[in-house]
Amino acid sequence: MPINQKAEASAHAVVSASNKIKAGVKEKLKDPFFWSDWLVVLALLLVIIVFGSIAPESFLTTYNLNNILVASAIPAIIVVGQTFAVATAGIDLSVSSIMTFGAVSFGLAFTRGWNLWSCALIGMLAGLLAGFLNGFIISVRKINDFIVTLGMLSIAAGIALVLSDGRPVQVISEPLANIAIGEFGVVPYLMIIAFSIVLAAHFLLFHTRFGIHLLAVGGDPDSARAMGISIVKVKIIVYSISGVLAGFAATLTISRIGAAEPAANTSILLNSVAAVVLGGVSLFGGRATIFGPFVATLLLQALSNGLTIIGVASYYQYVSVGIVVILSASLVRTSQ
Amino acid sequence: MKKNRLLTLAIVSVTASALVLGGSAAANAAPKSLKSIKIAAVVKGLDNPFFIGIKEGIEETALKYGVTVNVQAAPGLNDDIGQANKLDSLAGQKYDCYIIIPISSNNLSQAIGKITKKGKFVVNIDSPVDAASLKAAGGKITSFVGTDNKAAGKAGGVSMVKLIGSGKKIGLIAGLAGNVTSNARIDGFKAGAAGSTFVGPENADWDTTKALDKANAMLLANPDIAAFFAANDQMAQGISKAVKAAGKNIPIYGVDGIADALVEVKAGNITATISQYPYVMGQMGVQACIIAAQGGKVPKSTITPYHIINKSNIDKALTNKSSRGFFPNQLPPGNYDNPYAKKIKK
Repeated sequence: MPINQKAEASAHAVVSASNKIKAGVKEKLKDPFFWSDWLVVLALLLVIIVFGSIAPESFLTTYNLNNILVASAIPAIIVVGQTFAVATAGIDLSVSSIMTFGAVSFGLAFTRGWNLWSCALIGMLAGLLAGFLNGFIISVRKINDFIVTLGMLSIAAGIALVLSDGRPVQVISEPLANIAIGEFGVVPYLMIIAFSIVLAAHFLLFHTRFGIHLLAVGGDPDSARAMGISIVKVKIIVYSISGVLAGFAATLTISRIGAAEPAANTSILLNSVAAVVLGGVSLFGGRATIFGPFVATLLLQALSNGLTIIGVASYYQYVSVGIVVILSASLVRTSQ
Repeated sequence: MKKNRLLTLAIVSVTASALVLGGSAAANAAPKSLKSIKIAAVVKGLDNPFFIGIKEGIEETALKYGVTVNVQAAPGLNDDIGQANKLDSLAGQKYDCYIIIPISSNNLSQAIGKITKKGKFVVNIDSPVDAASLKAAGGKITSFVGTDNKAAGKAGGVSMVKLIGSGKKIGLIAGLAGNVTSNARIDGFKAGAAGSTFVGPENADWDTTKALDKANAMLLANPDIAAFFAANDQMAQGISKAVKAAGKNIPIYGVDGIADALVEVKAGNITATISQYPYVMGQMGVQACIIAAQGGKVPKSTITPYHIINKSNIDKALTNKSSRGFFPNQLPPGNYDNPYAKKIKK
């Protein structure tokens, strides 16, 4: 009898514990943040499973996973800047043009025989200048982010064409090219660089006073102002970060394609906005993650890579990528 | 949550159906035969009739020989990295040969280097890859197939002088400033029509409306212009509207031989178009790949033909459709030199 009783008691305990876990899981599942955080990870897994089962011999090779990481690195860096801008309830439409401006500045310095570090620095300074102007005009003149960065999109693209006279500058340099080709173990250097920036951005957003201020400005600018947070300062820093990252990404682009190209690459911009939305960052500001958009970048590149591998014609690729973006965004929206 | 699950299912089925639409690339292997040869092509954006012509040439030629081909285009017109990513994705697969048109002269070099290291072949068509960047990346091009824009422009110049006589004033309208193709066509034309006086070249960015405006202005300032040459057909169409509005009837030449321009030649609005054959470029690209995959000796570089299409041969050009028949004027009238076709082992 006592043994029985003991068993019953322990069974009861197990049941109640499992109930508790069930309740915990239920609570978790009801939490919208849980969904918007993990949805993109599930979507990435889904893409990997689908392509992995259709073309295991070509999609799931280290060579190809490596390709996806290389392809994701530069967009991932741009996405960090875009995430910051969107977290302040803004947007940076000028990222791709600033990147081109940075690349052309790099190219100008290179043709003057400057060393690679100085060239890269010039590229970042060009990005910083454009980003600073964005932030300054948006916050001090209180003009809509959309309009200011749309203007900068055109200005930076134009200056890039003027400076380069529309001609690409060839940058043949073995050490620079090695950044794009090299790997540490199986992880490409480019991804290590990009992931370090992602980690730093995560730290900045969630473990510093500046991060708290940034989210406060994005979530409720009036209260932020009442609390003594300088909106001007926060916005200038945010757009400057986005500009510097675009200038830095320009150097990595040159390392990949061996030339500073004068024509802006608009796909980078569209990709960055899509990744931020997919990553569960609220377009209304105040709520953001750094890892969500990062995983979303991997997702978009894996999707494009997989569709190319299984031979889906380019026309359908546009359609399927668009569908995934809209569907996932609407999923995030319904779960909020 | 149920709603979420349904939507997730929707994503799966949409993705899956997208996959089914294009799931044709996997063919089984049997050595040497034409059937076992697999080719991948990465071209520029497909929003230009010229590149669609190339794609047609690649796909129809592959069908004709029974080889497998996967044609991919860059995600955007200026997406140089995106195009490199595409070539990277394909480089890991079991293709025997890759046909490429780089967006810029450098952007695919690293990806080509990887392919060369795997011992596979790369055939470069249309725009050449820069030799220095290719060498730096350790890449090798098996064969190049391209057009000679300068020669095409020159032929236009010679033909026009024959038509209007020497020493006349000719208006020139060019494409984008600094564009290599545009410069080659204009320079070639000037050489062919040496002895004439030239007005311009004015840049109309390959655009019909801009060319109309430029031609209007040129006609106002120089009422004695005896003829126009445009670096592409779309701009020649714009010029023809300006000339008509000015109440004149002077010769207009364009370059490319696109379907719209052929209609205008037939109607007499454009005098002639110097037709290039992107279809042939695609065709020769596939043939070069087949030779390479079969272990044959591939011709190093080949220039595709051009032909002046005017009233005398327009009917033939309009009916000269490719086998799938999407566009007229895919193949040059009569015979043309193809150093590849005879080297293929059937």
